[in-house]
Amino acid sequence: MAVDITIKIAGEAGQGIQTVGDFLSLVCHKAGLYLMAINDFESRIRGGYSFFQIRVSDRPVFAPCPKVNLLVALNQKSCDAYEHELTGDGLIMIDIPDGNSGNRIALPMKALAEKAGGKISANTVAAGACLGLMGAPIGILEEILKDQFGEKSEDVLAMNLSAAKLGFEHVGDIRFSGKFEWKPETPKGILMDGSKAIALGALAGDCRVTAFYPMSPATGIMTYLASLTDDFPLVVEQAEDEIAAVNMVIGASFAGVRAMTATSGGGFCLMTEGIGLAAITETPIVVVNAQRPGPATGLPTRTAQGDLMFVINAAQDEFPRFVLAPGTPAEAFEITARAFHLAEKYQVPVIILADQTLCDSICISEKSLKAPQTIERFITDDSRMESPSEYNRYAVNPSGISPRALPCNGKALVLASGNEHEEDGHISEAISDRILMVDKRKAKLPAMLSEMGSPEIDHEKSEILLVGWGSGKGPIQEAAGLLRKEGLSVGSVHMTDLWPFPADAVTRILETCKRFFVVEGNSTAQLGRLIREQTGMAHHGAVLKYDGRPFFPDEIAEGVRKYL
Amino acid sequence: MVTVQDFDCTYENKWCPGCGNFGILSSMKEAFAALDLPPEKLLLISGIGQAAKTPHFLRCNLLHSLHGRALPIATGAKMANHDLTIVVNSGDGDCYGEGGNHFMNAIRRNVDLTLLVHNNKVYGLTKGQASPTSDPGTVTKAQPHGVIAESFNPLAVALSLGAGFVARGFSGDGEQLTRLIQAGIRHKGFALIDIAQPCVSFNRVNTHAWYKKRVYDLETENHQTDDLQKALALSFQWGDRIPTGIFFRKETPTFTERLGIIQDGPIISRTHDPQKLQDLLSAR
Repeated sequence: MAVDITIKIAGEAGQGIQTVGDFLSLVCHKAGLYLMAINDFESRIRGGYSFFQIRVSDRPVFAPCPKVNLLVALNQKSCDAYEHELTGDGLIMIDIPDGNSGNRIALPMKALAEKAGGKISANTVAAGACLGLMGAPIGILEEILKDQFGEKSEDVLAMNLSAAKLGFEHVGDIRFSGKFEWKPETPKGILMDGSKAIALGALAGDCRVTAFYPMSPATGIMTYLASLTDDFPLVVEQAEDEIAAVNMVIGASFAGVRAMTATSGGGFCLMTEGIGLAAITETPIVVVNAQRPGPATGLPTRTAQGDLMFVINAAQDEFPRFVLAPGTPAEAFEITARAFHLAEKYQVPVIILADQTLCDSICISEKSLKAPQTIERFITDDSRMESPSEYNRYAVNPSGISPRALPCNGKALVLASGNEHEEDGHISEAISDRILMVDKRKAKLPAMLSEMGSPEIDHEKSEILLVGWGSGKGPIQEAAGLLRKEGLSVGSVHMTDLWPFPADAVTRILETCKRFFVVEGNSTAQLGRLIREQTGMAHHGAVLKYDGRPFFPDEIAEGVRKYL
Repeated sequence: MVTVQDFDCTYENKWCPGCGNFGILSSMKEAFAALDLPPEKLLLISGIGQAAKTPHFLRCNLLHSLHGRALPIATGAKMANHDLTIVVNSGDGDCYGEGGNHFMNAIRRNVDLTLLVHNNKVYGLTKGQASPTSDPGTVTKAQPHGVIAESFNPLAVALSLGAGFVARGFSGDGEQLTRLIQAGIRHKGFALIDIAQPCVSFNRVNTHAWYKKRVYDLETENHQTDDLQKALALSFQWGDRIPTGIFFRKETPTFTERLGIIQDGPIISRTHDPQKLQDLLSAR
């Protein structure tokens, strides 16, 4: 029988929801299961409503499920808030004094934790109980606890082992519809969230300098990178604001290293000035915009896909740029590494459009992540020039890409200006120079376009195609599967390479279907509008979600059905 | 041997005749030559404004950037390659107005660079509006009833933030300014040289003659540059007598010296080690 169960651990911020979730994820991963987990929290450090929702399956899963088989409520109000999400045979596990009744299991988390040696191990009790209900062998959790606490102290490890066992045994004979036979296998891949994937992708792209100003949901990328600065040639600097962050990155890149910043929409607004500077000085930079709902502060800890049109058009006037949007952690790794290559090759800004769901969700990537063995640099120096003293930073040639030398790296002087300039970099207001430079920058576009990959199509030749981007990928593919089960001919198209827009490839794909629908986390179908602008093809409907929460497959399927 | 002529460039100068910037430009070239710093070893970074055009008027590597943003750009360049010799040309509007936050934080970080602020107490390039250092009451087209805000005191701010090299020059005293720029570049850490400068087009009060009558050199008064309290008191002296020279000097570890990872050399020179990353990727 197929395994597909969802466990929701809900409580106040600060109650250790994440700890329980991490234990469950690690155990399922280690047992060779697939999982997908979302993190939902409010913009507060204590109190309120937060949850970690993990879907466990014996088949690959890349989307959350709205129906909960087991609700672990760390307080009564979380129980009240989410009880309605339970499946008919679902259970609630809660720390209440008066015994089991109906679908409620009384788990004395605090009391068992104290018995184990300290209240602090209550989360381990909960994890043990969840695994007990699911029929898991406790040995895997024990191994994970040894990995986590073994080096800290024997007492802490003994307490947690005892807590896990007490929780596990407490639920020993309770019937749970989500119980299944565990046949531990080797892990199916690596456990990864989007933030870490972007950070590791940056290292794979040979990023040496990052600067940032803390902003959810992008901060995790930078804190993870900061944790690696002892092991890699990498500087991570917290800037005084996002304006400083992007300019530090421009300075570092101008001086010769690959550099990146990460922020969310509000910080990206402040960075647009710098993106313009990178564009006119042709300094490569990578900027991650991990989207959340806006405008202004919007919903700080929630998800959105509302910045597509913004980042394609951000900063005054016109200039070439890349916009890439990963949909899974594995894509985030590859796209980020590639972003550094593209930025340097074309001397343009590259914007990576992520979102909170991608950054904060965990899933198992079966594809192994490979660090490129060599980094191709696109930098020149005196030895490759006929006459270094006559070097012109913005020398015009048909490709629009001028050989880029570094400052203070030889006789060649490097002059760069945010003012419009001559080929040598000096300010110029001459009509001829202005036209020359605009045309030169624009001349990069055909080659840039040729770098754009074709959208990924699942079940091609379907009559209906669901088209999306970003973290919608998993839910959209699963929704298409749900509709196929109803006998409909439905496939899906996932776009990562959004700008320059691969119009020919998109046209070829969309011409094969009878109708296509866009599925997006915004209220105006921005990708749909872009497709129409670039291909002349109009979407036949749109499934849009802008409540700040991730897509669920069944709601997408329902949204599509309305059009049929 | 580097000479002043090595910095001469043919690019047309775009300042008003008689501008204080010419004196500053001459002192820069003199100082670079005296330090034996050739154009190719010099990176000038500037923001926006008349002062920020300076790098275009001498031979050097340059990044003429955005209004107020020269300091974070310079900070980033230092992170990449802390062996670079960086001089920043900025103005009172660029550095103390638009870039005020960056000014404060570059000082706090103690980035090893020399900041020259061409301070003419008025906006030149946008034609005569008040700047952060304009005196209260200054009447301009944009402030017809006079400037309401108090003027910004860059030296006092820099001192209070722990700047290790704080000086004031005067564009009309080239000899002293040359010495100050040399000392600023030799200083290991953040060096601020605020340069009093007339604006012949928009500031009718603080003229060359006005300054000439008032400035005096702290060195001639035997000022001890290790006395922070004295330096702070002097930073508030303005009016009949205007102190110039080095107010305060003290070397402390720089921003990049405190970054552990780059002690083995500039980060730009390190080799990429994909195996180390692959180990991390495979271990997950």
